[in-house]
Amino acid sequence: MWLPFLGLIFGLALGLLTNIQIPSIYENYLSIAVLAALDTLFGGIRAQLQQVYDDKVFVSGFFFNIALAAGLAFLGVYLGIDLYLAAIFAFGVRLFQNIAIIRRILLTRIDEKRHKRNKNSIE
Amino acid sequence: MKKKNSKENFFSRKQFQLLIVCVVMGFIIGYSYNLAKDNREAGSANKELFEQEETYREELIAQQERNKELTDEANALQEKIRKYEKSFVASKKDYTKLVEEAEDLRLLLGDLNSEGKGIRITLQDGDYDPKSANPNDYIVHESHVFKMLNELKISGAQAIAINGQRVLANSYIRCNGPVITIDGKQHPAPFVIEAVGDSATLIASLNLNGGVVDQLLNDNIVVSLEENQKLSMPKVKVES
Repeated sequence: MWLPFLGLIFGLALGLLTNIQIPSIYENYLSIAVLAALDTLFGGIRAQLQQVYDDKVFVSGFFFNIALAAGLAFLGVYLGIDLYLAAIFAFGVRLFQNIAIIRRILLTRIDEKRHKRNKNSIE
Repeated sequence: MKKKNSKENFFSRKQFQLLIVCVVMGFIIGYSYNLAKDNREAGSANKELFEQEETYREELIAQQERNKELTDEANALQEKIRKYEKSFVASKKDYTKLVEEAEDLRLLLGDLNSEGKGIRITLQDGDYDPKSANPNDYIVHESHVFKMLNELKISGAQAIAINGQRVLANSYIRCNGPVITIDGKQHPAPFVIEAVGDSATLIASLNLNGGVVDQLLNDNIVVSLEENQKLSMPKVKVES
Protein backbone atom coordinates (compact mmCIF):
# COMPACT_ATOMS: atom_id res chain seq x y z
CA MET A 1 0.00 0.00 0.00
CA TRP A 2 2.91 2.34 0.62
CA LEU A 3 4.39 2.04 -2.86
CA PRO A 4 1.76 4.15 -4.70
CA PHE A 5 2.06 6.86 -2.09
CA LEU A 6 5.80 6.82 -2.50
CA GLY A 7 5.26 7.10 -6.23
CA LEU A 8 2.88 10.01 -5.71
CA ILE A 9 5.38 11.85 -3.55
CA PHE A 10 8.14 11.11 -6.04
CA GLY A 11 5.98 12.43 -8.87
CA LEU A 12 5.12 15.56 -6.89
CA ALA A 13 8.77 16.23 -6.18
CA LEU A 14 9.64 15.66 -9.82
CA GLY A 15 6.87 18.06 -10.92
CA LEU A 16 7.89 20.70 -8.41
CA LEU A 17 11.53 20.46 -9.37
CA THR A 18 10.97 20.64 -13.10
CA ASN A 19 11.14 24.17 -14.27
CA ILE A 20 10.04 23.94 -17.87
CA GLN A 21 8.05 26.87 -19.10
CA ILE A 22 5.18 26.07 -21.42
CA PRO A 23 3.27 28.64 -23.45
CA SER A 24 0.20 29.98 -21.71
CA ILE A 25 -2.03 28.56 -24.49
CA TYR A 26 -1.28 25.05 -23.25
CA GLU A 27 -2.25 25.73 -19.67
CA ASN A 28 -5.79 24.66 -20.48
CA TYR A 29 -4.49 21.24 -21.45
CA LEU A 30 -2.66 20.96 -18.18
CA SER A 31 -5.67 21.91 -16.10
CA ILE A 32 -7.73 19.30 -17.93
CA ALA A 33 -5.00 16.74 -17.45
CA VAL A 34 -5.00 17.44 -13.71
CA LEU A 35 -8.76 17.12 -13.61
CA ALA A 36 -8.72 13.87 -15.57
CA ALA A 37 -6.02 12.43 -13.35
CA LEU A 38 -7.91 13.33 -10.19
CA ASP A 39 -11.11 11.93 -11.65
CA THR A 40 -9.46 8.67 -12.54
CA LEU A 41 -7.80 8.44 -9.15
CA PHE A 42 -11.04 8.94 -7.27
CA GLY A 43 -12.80 6.63 -9.69
CA GLY A 44 -10.20 4.01 -8.88
CA ILE A 45 -10.68 4.47 -5.14
CA ARG A 46 -14.46 4.21 -5.53
CA ALA A 47 -14.10 1.06 -7.62
CA GLN A 48 -11.81 -0.39 -5.00
CA LEU A 49 -14.35 0.35 -2.31
CA GLN A 50 -17.18 -1.05 -4.41
CA GLN A 51 -15.13 -4.17 -5.06
CA VAL A 52 -15.25 -3.71 -8.84
CA TYR A 53 -11.68 -2.53 -9.23
CA ASP A 54 -9.93 -3.57 -12.41
CA ASP A 55 -6.40 -2.37 -12.86
CA LYS A 56 -6.63 -2.53 -16.65
CA VAL A 57 -9.65 -0.27 -16.65
CA PHE A 58 -7.96 1.98 -14.15
CA VAL A 59 -4.68 2.42 -16.00
CA SER A 60 -6.21 2.63 -19.45
CA GLY A 61 -8.86 5.06 -18.12
CA PHE A 62 -6.19 7.21 -16.56
CA PHE A 63 -4.16 7.68 -19.71
CA PHE A 64 -7.06 7.63 -22.10
CA ASN A 65 -8.98 10.23 -20.16
CA ILE A 66 -5.98 12.53 -20.03
CA ALA A 67 -5.36 12.08 -23.75
CA LEU A 68 -9.02 12.61 -24.59
CA ALA A 69 -9.26 15.73 -22.50
CA ALA A 70 -6.12 17.14 -24.04
CA GLY A 71 -7.36 16.25 -27.51
CA LEU A 72 -10.69 17.92 -26.85
CA ALA A 73 -8.98 21.04 -25.65
CA PHE A 74 -6.69 20.95 -28.68
CA LEU A 75 -9.67 20.61 -31.00
CA GLY A 76 -11.45 23.42 -29.16
CA VAL A 77 -8.48 25.73 -29.59
CA TYR A 78 -8.38 25.04 -33.31
CA LEU A 79 -12.13 25.30 -33.80
CA GLY A 80 -12.35 28.46 -31.75
CA ILE A 81 -14.82 26.86 -29.37
CA ASP A 82 -14.05 26.38 -25.71
CA LEU A 83 -14.48 22.61 -25.92
CA TYR A 84 -12.23 22.07 -22.93
CA LEU A 85 -15.13 23.41 -20.87
CA ALA A 86 -17.02 20.23 -21.76
CA ALA A 87 -14.16 18.13 -20.43
CA ILE A 88 -13.90 20.21 -17.29
CA PHE A 89 -17.63 19.95 -16.76
CA ALA A 90 -17.77 16.21 -17.30
CA PHE A 91 -14.72 15.51 -15.16
CA GLY A 92 -15.89 17.89 -12.47
CA VAL A 93 -19.28 16.26 -12.21
CA ARG A 94 -17.76 12.80 -12.14
CA LEU A 95 -15.24 13.89 -9.58
CA PHE A 96 -17.94 15.12 -7.25
CA GLN A 97 -20.03 12.02 -7.83
CA ASN A 98 -17.10 9.74 -7.13
CA ILE A 99 -16.20 11.60 -3.97
CA ALA A 100 -19.84 11.51 -2.86
CA ILE A 101 -20.00 7.75 -3.42
CA ILE A 102 -16.73 7.23 -1.56
CA ARG A 103 -18.03 9.30 1.33
CA ARG A 104 -21.25 7.30 1.54
CA ILE A 105 -19.49 3.99 1.41
CA LEU A 106 -17.08 5.08 4.12
CA LEU A 107 -19.94 6.38 6.22
CA THR A 108 -21.87 3.12 5.97
CA ARG A 109 -18.74 1.18 6.84
CA ILE A 110 -18.10 3.33 9.89
CA ASP A 111 -21.71 2.88 10.89
CA GLU A 112 -21.47 -0.87 10.44
CA LYS A 113 -18.28 -0.99 12.50
CA ARG A 114 -19.83 1.03 15.27
CA HIS A 115 -22.90 -1.17 15.15
CA LYS A 116 -20.76 -4.29 15.36
CA ARG A 117 -18.75 -2.88 18.25
CA ASN A 118 -21.92 -1.92 20.03
CA LYS A 119 -23.29 -5.36 19.45
CA ASN A 120 -20.03 -6.86 20.73
CA SER A 121 -20.02 -4.66 23.79
CA ILE A 122 -23.65 -5.47 24.50
CA GLU A 123 -23.05 -9.13 24.14
CA MET B 1 3.64 -22.75 -6.11
CA LYS B 2 2.45 -21.76 -9.44
CA LYS B 3 -0.50 -19.98 -7.96
CA LYS B 4 1.68 -18.09 -5.55
CA ASN B 5 4.05 -17.11 -8.30
CA SER B 6 1.26 -15.82 -10.49
CA LYS B 7 -0.25 -14.02 -7.56
CA GLU B 8 3.09 -12.43 -6.79
CA ASN B 9 3.44 -11.53 -10.40
CA PHE B 10 -0.04 -10.09 -10.49
CA PHE B 11 0.59 -8.17 -7.34
CA SER B 12 3.82 -6.73 -8.58
CA ARG B 13 2.28 -5.85 -11.92
CA LYS B 14 -0.65 -4.19 -10.26
CA GLN B 15 1.66 -2.34 -7.95
CA PHE B 16 3.79 -1.32 -10.86
CA GLN B 17 0.84 0.05 -12.78
CA LEU B 18 -0.38 1.89 -9.75
CA LEU B 19 3.09 3.25 -9.20
CA ILE B 20 3.27 4.56 -12.73
CA VAL B 21 -0.16 6.14 -12.48
CA CYS B 22 0.69 7.75 -9.19
CA VAL B 23 4.02 9.03 -10.45
CA VAL B 24 2.35 10.53 -13.52
CA MET B 25 -0.40 12.07 -11.45
CA GLY B 26 2.08 13.43 -8.93
CA PHE B 27 4.14 14.86 -11.73
CA ILE B 28 1.14 16.50 -13.35
CA ILE B 29 -0.13 17.99 -10.12
CA GLY B 30 3.27 19.14 -9.00
CA TYR B 31 4.10 20.58 -12.36
CA SER B 32 0.86 22.48 -12.61
CA TYR B 33 1.31 23.72 -9.05
CA ASN B 34 4.75 24.94 -10.00
CA LEU B 35 3.42 26.58 -13.09
CA ALA B 36 0.58 28.18 -11.21
CA LYS B 37 3.02 29.48 -8.63
CA ASP B 38 5.18 30.93 -11.37
CA ASN B 39 2.12 32.46 -12.93
CA ARG B 40 1.01 33.86 -9.62
CA GLU B 41 4.40 35.43 -9.06
CA ALA B 42 4.55 36.69 -12.59
CA GLY B 43 1.01 37.96 -12.24
CA SER B 44 1.80 39.80 -9.03
CA ALA B 45 4.97 41.16 -10.58
CA ASN B 46 2.99 42.12 -13.63
CA LYS B 47 0.41 43.76 -11.46
CA GLU B 48 3.06 45.73 -9.67
CA LEU B 49 4.59 46.76 -12.96
CA PHE B 50 1.18 47.60 -14.29
CA GLU B 51 0.39 49.75 -11.28
CA GLN B 52 3.73 51.46 -11.62
CA GLU B 53 3.09 52.02 -15.30
CA GLU B 54 -0.34 53.34 -14.48
CA THR B 55 0.99 55.85 -12.00
CA TYR B 56 3.68 56.92 -14.42
CA ARG B 57 1.12 57.25 -17.14
CA GLU B 58 -1.12 59.32 -14.92
CA GLU B 59 1.81 61.51 -14.03
CA LEU B 60 2.65 61.87 -17.68
CA ILE B 61 -0.92 62.75 -18.53
CA ALA B 62 -1.05 65.31 -15.75
CA GLN B 63 2.24 66.73 -16.92
CA GLN B 64 1.01 66.85 -20.49
CA GLU B 65 -2.17 68.58 -19.44
CA ARG B 66 -0.17 71.09 -17.47
CA ASN B 67 2.05 71.59 -20.52
CA LYS B 68 -0.98 72.11 -22.67
CA GLU B 69 -2.41 74.64 -20.25
CA LEU B 70 0.88 76.48 -20.11
CA THR B 71 1.20 76.40 -23.88
CA ASP B 72 -2.29 77.78 -24.24
CA GLU B 73 -1.47 80.48 -21.76
CA ALA B 74 1.76 81.28 -23.57
CA ASN B 75 -0.12 81.43 -26.85
CA ALA B 76 -2.74 83.72 -25.40
CA LEU B 77 -0.06 86.01 -24.01
CA GLN B 78 1.80 85.96 -27.30
CA GLU B 79 -1.39 86.90 -29.08
CA LYS B 80 -1.98 89.69 -26.62
CA ILE B 81 1.52 91.02 -27.16
CA ARG B 82 1.07 90.81 -30.88
CA LYS B 83 -2.15 92.74 -30.64
CA TYR B 84 -0.49 95.40 -28.54
CA GLU B 85 2.40 95.63 -30.93
CA LYS B 86 0.13 95.74 -33.90
CA SER B 87 -2.06 98.42 -32.45
CA PHE B 88 1.03 100.35 -31.42
CA VAL B 89 2.62 100.04 -34.84
CA ALA B 90 -0.64 100.76 -36.56
CA SER B 91 -1.27 103.86 -34.54
CA LYS B 92 2.29 105.00 -35.01
CA LYS B 93 2.07 104.33 -38.72
CA ASP B 94 -1.27 106.02 -38.84
CA TYR B 95 0.07 109.05 -37.04
CA THR B 96 3.15 109.38 -39.22
CA LYS B 97 1.03 108.79 -42.27
CA LEU B 98 -1.52 111.31 -41.18
CA VAL B 99 1.15 113.86 -40.36
CA GLU B 100 2.81 113.33 -43.72
CA GLU B 101 -0.50 113.54 -45.50
CA ALA B 102 -1.42 116.68 -43.65
CA GLU B 103 1.92 118.18 -44.59
CA ASP B 104 1.46 117.20 -48.21
CA LEU B 105 -2.04 118.55 -48.26
CA ARG B 106 -0.90 121.79 -46.69
CA LEU B 107 1.79 122.12 -49.29
CA LEU B 108 -0.64 121.34 -52.07
CA LEU B 109 -3.08 123.82 -50.68
CA GLY B 110 -0.34 126.37 -50.58
CA ASP B 111 -0.77 127.18 -46.94
CA LEU B 112 2.91 126.93 -46.37
CA ASN B 113 5.98 128.31 -47.95
CA SER B 114 7.45 125.38 -49.81
CA GLU B 115 11.12 124.98 -49.89
CA GLY B 116 13.19 122.05 -50.86
CA LYS B 117 14.71 119.97 -53.53
CA GLY B 118 12.78 119.64 -56.68
CA ILE B 119 12.85 119.90 -60.42
CA ARG B 120 12.29 122.71 -62.84
CA ILE B 121 10.74 122.06 -66.21
CA THR B 122 10.70 124.56 -68.95
CA LEU B 123 8.19 124.23 -71.75
CA GLN B 124 8.96 126.36 -74.74
CA ASP B 125 7.19 126.77 -78.02
CA GLY B 126 8.83 125.00 -80.87
CA ASP B 127 10.83 126.87 -83.41
CA TYR B 128 8.88 128.61 -86.03
CA ASP B 129 8.26 126.18 -88.86
CA PRO B 130 7.53 127.89 -92.13
CA LYS B 131 6.27 124.66 -93.68
CA SER B 132 3.55 124.25 -91.14
CA ALA B 133 0.60 126.41 -91.83
CA ASN B 134 -0.90 125.99 -88.40
CA PRO B 135 1.01 127.57 -85.51
CA ASN B 136 -1.00 125.40 -83.10
CA ASP B 137 1.24 122.52 -84.12
CA TYR B 138 4.22 123.89 -82.30
CA ILE B 139 3.04 126.08 -79.48
CA VAL B 140 2.50 124.97 -75.90
CA HIS B 141 -1.12 124.40 -75.12
CA GLU B 142 -2.78 124.31 -71.78
CA SER B 143 -3.35 120.56 -72.30
CA HIS B 144 0.41 120.04 -72.26
CA VAL B 145 0.67 121.94 -69.04
CA PHE B 146 -2.18 119.86 -67.67
CA LYS B 147 -0.47 116.62 -68.54
CA MET B 148 2.68 117.84 -66.93
CA LEU B 149 0.88 118.94 -63.80
CA ASN B 150 -1.04 115.68 -63.49
CA GLU B 151 2.09 113.62 -63.94
CA LEU B 152 3.88 115.67 -61.34
CA LYS B 153 1.04 115.34 -58.86
CA ILE B 154 0.77 111.62 -59.39
CA SER B 155 4.49 111.26 -58.90
CA GLY B 156 4.25 112.87 -55.51
CA ALA B 157 5.16 116.48 -56.10
CA GLN B 158 4.42 118.39 -52.95
CA ALA B 159 4.11 121.84 -54.38
CA ILE B 160 3.91 123.07 -57.93
CA ALA B 161 4.32 126.49 -59.32
CA ILE B 162 4.10 127.81 -62.85
CA ASN B 163 6.09 130.89 -63.63
CA GLY B 164 6.33 131.53 -59.91
CA GLN B 165 2.61 131.16 -59.28
CA ARG B 166 1.56 128.35 -56.97
CA VAL B 167 -0.82 125.88 -58.53
CA LEU B 168 -3.29 124.78 -55.90
CA ALA B 169 -5.70 121.92 -55.70
CA ASN B 170 -8.49 124.16 -56.81
CA SER B 171 -6.54 126.15 -59.37
CA TYR B 172 -7.79 126.40 -62.88
CA ILE B 173 -5.90 126.70 -66.10
CA ARG B 174 -7.38 128.05 -69.24
CA CYS B 175 -6.15 128.38 -72.74
CA ASN B 176 -6.23 131.85 -73.82
CA GLY B 177 -4.77 132.02 -77.27
CA PRO B 178 -1.01 132.24 -77.08
CA VAL B 179 -1.12 132.56 -73.32
CA ILE B 180 -2.65 130.48 -70.54
CA THR B 181 -4.58 131.80 -67.64
CA ILE B 182 -3.93 130.39 -64.21
CA ASP B 183 -6.34 131.52 -61.54
CA GLY B 184 -7.00 134.65 -63.49
CA LYS B 185 -3.38 135.53 -64.17
CA GLN B 186 -2.08 135.29 -67.65
CA HIS B 187 1.22 133.63 -68.34
CA PRO B 188 3.01 133.57 -71.69
CA ALA B 189 5.36 130.95 -72.96
CA PRO B 190 7.87 129.75 -71.94
CA PHE B 191 6.34 128.12 -68.95
CA VAL B 192 8.62 127.31 -66.10
CA ILE B 193 7.05 124.63 -63.96
CA GLU B 194 8.64 124.11 -60.62
CA ALA B 195 7.84 121.10 -58.48
CA VAL B 196 9.06 120.32 -55.00
CA GLY B 197 9.47 116.66 -54.32
CA ASP B 198 11.74 113.70 -54.78
CA SER B 199 13.52 114.87 -57.90
CA ALA B 200 14.74 111.42 -58.90
CA THR B 201 11.21 110.03 -58.83
CA LEU B 202 9.77 113.01 -60.60
CA ILE B 203 12.31 112.95 -63.39
CA ALA B 204 12.04 109.24 -63.79
CA SER B 205 8.27 109.37 -64.03
CA LEU B 206 8.35 112.22 -66.53
CA ASN B 207 10.91 110.43 -68.65
CA LEU B 208 9.03 107.18 -68.91
CA ASN B 209 8.92 105.70 -72.39
CA GLY B 210 5.81 107.14 -74.00
CA GLY B 211 5.46 109.36 -70.98
CA VAL B 212 4.75 113.04 -70.74
CA VAL B 213 8.07 114.25 -72.05
CA ASP B 214 7.86 111.98 -75.09
CA GLN B 215 4.36 113.18 -75.85
CA LEU B 216 5.38 116.83 -75.52
CA LEU B 217 8.39 116.27 -77.75
CA ASN B 218 6.08 114.70 -80.29
CA ASP B 219 4.11 117.90 -80.23
CA ASN B 220 7.24 119.84 -81.21
CA ILE B 221 7.62 121.39 -77.80
CA VAL B 222 11.01 122.08 -76.36
CA VAL B 223 11.18 120.49 -72.93
CA SER B 224 14.04 120.93 -70.61
CA LEU B 225 14.35 119.28 -67.23
CA GLU B 226 16.70 120.29 -64.50
CA GLU B 227 17.18 119.24 -60.98
CA ASN B 228 17.19 122.00 -58.48
CA GLN B 229 18.70 121.75 -55.07
CA LYS B 230 16.69 124.47 -53.56
CA LEU B 231 13.36 125.70 -54.75
CA SER B 232 11.34 128.11 -52.78
CA MET B 233 7.72 128.91 -53.33
CA PRO B 234 5.84 131.55 -51.49
CA LYS B 235 2.64 130.63 -49.77
CA VAL B 236 -0.51 131.73 -51.37
CA LYS B 237 -2.11 134.75 -49.91
CA VAL B 238 -5.76 134.17 -49.97
CA GLU B 239 -7.38 137.26 -51.22
CA SER B 240 -10.88 137.50 -50.12
